[in-house]
Amino acid sequence: MSLPSMIIKLTLGLLWCIIHLAISLLSLCSHLIFNLECSLISSGLLWKYRNLQLGRLKYLAIVVDSREAKNTVKINQLLYWLKTLGVKYVCLYDIDGVLKKLFAPGMNGSRDNNPGDYLDASANIKALDCCQKQMTIECISGSDGKEGIAKAANLLCSSYLNGDSYTQENVKSEENVKSEENVENEPVFTETDMASALKSIGCAGPEPDLLLVYGPARCHLGFPTWRLRYTEIMHMGPLKSMKYGAIVKAFHNYSKKHQNYGK
Amino acid sequence: DRLYFCVTLCREGTRLRIIGDRSRLPVSVQKTARDAEEATRNNSRLHLVLAISYSGRMDIVQACRKLAQKVDAKLLRPEDIDESLFADELQTSCAADEASSSCPDLLIRTSGELRLSNFLLWQSAYSELFFTDTLWPDFGEAQYLQALRAFQSRDRRFGARKNNAAL
Repeated sequence: MSLPSMIIKLTLGLLWCIIHLAISLLSLCSHLIFNLECSLISSGLLWKYRNLQLGRLKYLAIVVDSREAKNTVKINQLLYWLKTLGVKYVCLYDIDGVLKKLFAPGMNGSRDNNPGDYLDASANIKALDCCQKQMTIECISGSDGKEGIAKAANLLCSSYLNGDSYTQENVKSEENVKSEENVENEPVFTETDMASALKSIGCAGPEPDLLLVYGPARCHLGFPTWRLRYTEIMHMGPLKSMKYGAIVKAFHNYSKKHQNYGK
Repeated sequence: DRLYFCVTLCREGTRLRIIGDRSRLPVSVQKTARDAEEATRNNSRLHLVLAISYSGRMDIVQACRKLAQKVDAKLLRPEDIDESLFADELQTSCAADEASSSCPDLLIRTSGELRLSNFLLWQSAYSELFFTDTLWPDFGEAQYLQALRAFQSRDRRFGARKNNAAL
């Protein structure tokens, strides 16, 4: 290798290291600022986070990576924080059902609150009382997600096969105008039918207003898709490094959101 | 404009597919969509799927309808319906070919909104979600690189569970 090419190679390598270092420093500063902000929020020193308006936050969902869901101390701490913040309904989800097993011994049906209208007897709900602030907890897993949709489809198809009729729609398109016979024989399920089927198999539930994701991946890990239509999704990082201030900030940011809800 | 659009797609080797409820679109737009899909049918360099008048929930419902038709035609039994069969009937699966998956690895949402807004509800189960404050007209290479950087740094299991493989 000639000297000029060696110099160029070294220079490029040095430039790469400098850029990498700069980005790492920026990332570190960002992380430190975030931690400082969370501490200030927790201590109540930041004025704008003092009075949280949680009127719009009726249903909160928490998605936890199953590997981290086994950390019962953190889960209980998280629930305690949510209770003190005044959250009334929490849906806990992890794909492997670790949280379901965690709360299974204490599960009992609760039909006192409005969320009970969405759920049937097989739903996993628990009412926690703490400091006179009751909070309803729902635990679901991957079997309530895509599997639930498939089971609901199974139910709808079985009903259709048995001759149950569904609301007929006039599907107006060039294709269907050409073959009216197909329109008459075509099963026409609606979103209402699917929602009813999901309720029948115990996979119904309210649509969360806000979904907090704890884990390494910024995805909802198969949370029941039918309930995620207009849910705000916020990634909170690993569960082991969760912070009270970060939750308060997430709630505050949510309270400032404007939604048209598809209108 | 329509001709220019088709020519551009063909020149770039892009195959266009459109998903959504076309019955709600004007007839002229439906025809344009059909013509563009037909004109780009043999392209394979890039698969572009446009979701117009699309609803994630309606996608799930129409998949149910298709399965019910198959059940009615005795092509399958209701108890055979599982996640895999269901996924095959979604509009995105019909738009995907054998070489590609219908589930995105990365989902980018612009304009600062932190929600899916009824888009790809089923398909985005294990997608990396990247939310950016940048508005769509201003979304460029820099923002795309940010999204890629966020994506490549994640530990992804694709919904692998103890007993079931991810779909």
